[in-house]
Amino acid sequence: MRRVLLACATSLLIYIAAFACLLDRPLTLGVLRAHIEANIALGQSVRGPKLVILAGSNGSYSHRCETIQPIVNRPCINAGIAVGVGLDYLFARWEPLLHAGDIVYLPLEEAQYVRTRAAAYLGPDAAIMLRHDRATLETLPLQRWIAALFAGDLRAAIMSLMEITLADYGFRDPRPAAGGGYNAWGDHVGHTAALAALNQSTLAAIKPFHPTAAEIQAGYGTVLVSGFLRWAAAHGVLAVGGLPTGFIDSPIDDASLAAIRAIYRDHGASFVELPNQSRYPRSAFFDTQDHLNEAAQIAHSIAVAEALSHFTDWRQARSP
Amino acid sequence: MMFHTTVFILGFIPVCLSGFFTLGRFCGAAWALRWLVACNLFFYAWWYPGHLPLLVGSVALNHSIAWKLRHTEQTRIWLGIGVGLNLAILGWFKYADFLLHIVVPNASALHVTLPLAISFFTFQQIMFLVDIGRGAAGTAAEDRASPERPATMVRTEPGLPPLLRYAAFVTFFPHLIAGPIVRPSDIIPQLADPDLARARIDNVTDGVLIFLLGLGKKLVLADMFGKFADIGFNAAADGTALTFFEAWYATLSYALQIYFDFSGYSDMAIGLARVLNVRFPLNFDSPYQAANIAEFWRRWHITLGGFLRDYVYIPLGGNRTGPLRQTGTVMVTMLLCGLWHGAAWNFVLWGGLHGGFLVIHAQYRRLFRPLPAALGQILTLLAVIVAWVPFRAASLPSTIAMLRGMAGGNGIALPRMIVSALPSFARIADPVTVMPFLGDARTLSFPEISACLLLGWLIVLMLPNVHRMNDRVRHWTLTGSFALSAQALFFAPHVAPFLYFQF
Repeated sequence: MRRVLLACATSLLIYIAAFACLLDRPLTLGVLRAHIEANIALGQSVRGPKLVILAGSNGSYSHRCETIQPIVNRPCINAGIAVGVGLDYLFARWEPLLHAGDIVYLPLEEAQYVRTRAAAYLGPDAAIMLRHDRATLETLPLQRWIAALFAGDLRAAIMSLMEITLADYGFRDPRPAAGGGYNAWGDHVGHTAALAALNQSTLAAIKPFHPTAAEIQAGYGTVLVSGFLRWAAAHGVLAVGGLPTGFIDSPIDDASLAAIRAIYRDHGASFVELPNQSRYPRSAFFDTQDHLNEAAQIAHSIAVAEALSHFTDWRQARSP
Repeated sequence: MMFHTTVFILGFIPVCLSGFFTLGRFCGAAWALRWLVACNLFFYAWWYPGHLPLLVGSVALNHSIAWKLRHTEQTRIWLGIGVGLNLAILGWFKYADFLLHIVVPNASALHVTLPLAISFFTFQQIMFLVDIGRGAAGTAAEDRASPERPATMVRTEPGLPPLLRYAAFVTFFPHLIAGPIVRPSDIIPQLADPDLARARIDNVTDGVLIFLLGLGKKLVLADMFGKFADIGFNAAADGTALTFFEAWYATLSYALQIYFDFSGYSDMAIGLARVLNVRFPLNFDSPYQAANIAEFWRRWHITLGGFLRDYVYIPLGGNRTGPLRQTGTVMVTMLLCGLWHGAAWNFVLWGGLHGGFLVIHAQYRRLFRPLPAALGQILTLLAVIVAWVPFRAASLPSTIAMLRGMAGGNGIALPRMIVSALPSFARIADPVTVMPFLGDARTLSFPEISACLLLGWLIVLMLPNVHRMNDRVRHWTLTGSFALSAQALFFAPHVAPFLYFQF
C-alpha cells in the first residue's frame, strides 16, 4: 500500500510541477495572452474617460472601436477576447484601469451567463494565470487558486507539448494570413466577406445555443456579471449591457431576453438594444454566430455607437 | 452513485468497507455479509429507490424457484418457468415498446422506465437457475485460466446457497450495475469463505491499484474521447453532412471511448471486488489487438461472450452441427447479443454485422490458410470500428449519414492552416477556417484530436492491459495517471456516466 500511496503522491507532484512551471501553450494561450496584455497596455495608456468593450470574441469580431470611437467621441478599447476566458479574470484585470466616468459596454455572448462555476474555473485563463500571471491569481478567491492548480487535463498536456515543439521550431501561426488579425484598438480586422465565403457551409450548418431564462438567471456567469455591475455602480463606472450578434433565423426568445435585460437593470445598469436586436442574416457572418464579417462588423458598430452616444453625451453634459 | 464520483469514492466506499471489515472482525462473516447486502441495496437505490422492490423481488423469486428446482423431479418445467419469468420481466421493461412498434408501427409508446442494471441482474439469475437445473450451481464450471482467474480461485460448494449469500451474489455492488457477468459457481463459493470479511493487505493494495487504474481509463481517456465522438455523432443525428475527417475522427474516438469506458469500469469492478476479497474474472484482454474477429470476441466483454457461448450458442447446437446450422446459430447468438445491448434496430444491426464477420471468418478459415497476423489485425480492427457506427448512432438514418461521411461522400475538408503549411493536401481537401464538428471547432482542433487519437490507439494497440502488466509497470502507470484522474474527478465540469449503464 505504501508503494501505491507513493505513486499517487509522486504523480501529484509531477503534475503540479509540470503545469505550473514547464507546460505552456504558446500558440493558443500565448496568442490570447498577448491580445489581453495588448488591450491592458492600451487601457493603461488612455487618460480621461474611455469606452471599453468587454465580451468574448463577439466583442472583437463584431464590434469595431476604430469605427465607434469617432462617433462616441472618446477613446475606445475593444477588450473582447474569447468566450472561454473567465469573466472574473477579465473583470479582475480591468477593474484597476476603470475610473469614474468610464463606460463599459458588455455585449456578452449568451453562453457567458450560463457557464458553470466548474467550467469557468477551468477556462484558458486558469492556465494563463498559473503560468504567467500569478499576481492576478492572488487577487482571486482560494478555490480559484486550487482550481487553477488543477486546470490541466491530458488534452492540455498533449497540446502543450505540441505547441512548445512547434514554437521552438519557429512555426508561424498562419491564422492572421488566413483570417485576419488585430488592429491598435483591439478590433479584429481582415475577416472579410470574401474570406467568409469559404465558411458558408460551416455557417449554414451551425445550430446556435440559446439558454433558457431559468438557466440565465441561475448561471454562474450571471453571478459574476452582477458582481461587476455592483462594483461599477460603486465606482462611478457606467456599465451598459447589450446583446451579442446572432443569426436572424435563430432569435433569442422573449423570456431569455427579459432575463438578460433584468441582470443589468436590477443592478442599476443600462441596457442597449438595437432595433434588429443584433440579428443578421447568416451571410453577414464570418465563421460563427459571434463573428460578423468585416463589412457587417463596421455597420453593426455604427449602430452600436449611435446607441451608446446617448450615454456619452449624457456623461459629457454632466461632467464639470 | 457511479464508481467515478466523489460521493462513491469518498462516501460510500469508506463507510461500506469499514463496516464490512469491522463487523467481520467482531461479529463474524454472516454479519459482514448482511452489512454488504444492505450496502448493495443502498447503492442500487441511490439512483431511483422505486426500482429497489423489483431487484429484491427478483432475487427472492429466483431463489424460491432455485429451491423448487432442487426439490422437484420436474426440473425442466420449473427451469422453463424460471427462465421464462426472468425473460418476461426483462422483456416488459426493456423490449415492450420495441416489440409493440414492430407489431403496431403507429402505436403510441408505453414509456416503460428501464430499471437500472436489469439486463445484468436478469442474466446473472438465469445463469444461476440453469446451473441449478444442470445440478452445477456452486460447482466449478469449465475453468479458463486467466491472470484474474487462476485455477486455485474456483472452489466448490454443493447445494443451494442460503438466501443471504445468494442475495449478496446477485446484488454485489461491484458487478451489479454493468457486470462483469460473473458465474455463480465462481462467486458464491467465495462469499462462503469464513475469512471473507478479514482485511487482507495484499488484496486491498491490489484492489486499490486496479481500481485507480480503471478510474484513470474512464476519467482521463474515455471521457476525453467521448467528447470528440459526441460532437460528430450528434451532428450526424441532427442531419449534418459530416466531411471525411469529421466522420472518421468521431468514429475512431468512439471506438476508444467505449473500450476505455467499459474496460475501465470492469477494472474498477475487479478492483473493488478484490478489496472485498472476491476475485472477478477478466472482462477485457486488449481486444483491439486481436488478429481475427473470433479472437476479438474472446477478448471483448469476455463474460458476456462466455454467457452467450455457454447459455445460447452451445444449447442451440454449437459446433456439433453442420456448417449451415452452425452459421444460423452464430447469427442468432450475435443478433441476441445486439438486442441485449438495447431495444433498437441499430443494436440488432451491430449484432448482425458481428455475426456476419464471425461467419465469414469461420468459412475463410475452413477454406484458406490464415492471413498474416498484421493484416488480420488491421482487417479485424477496421470491421470492428465500422460496426461501432450503428452501435453509437442515434438511428439508422444517422448511421447511414455517418458511413457516408466516412466514405468521403460529403467531401474532405481540412483546416486552412494545415493546407497552407502542407500545400500538397490542397489536392485532396477543401481548406476551411475551422471544422465545426471536430473537437471544440478551434483552429488547432485538428492537430489536437489527431495527437489524442494517436496516443489512444498507441495505448490500446501497443501496450499491455492493466491485468497483463507486472507490478512495477502498474505503479508507473499509476504515477502517470493518478493526478490526471484526480483532476478530472474533482475539477472536471461534467461527469459522463458509464456507457454500459444504459444496458
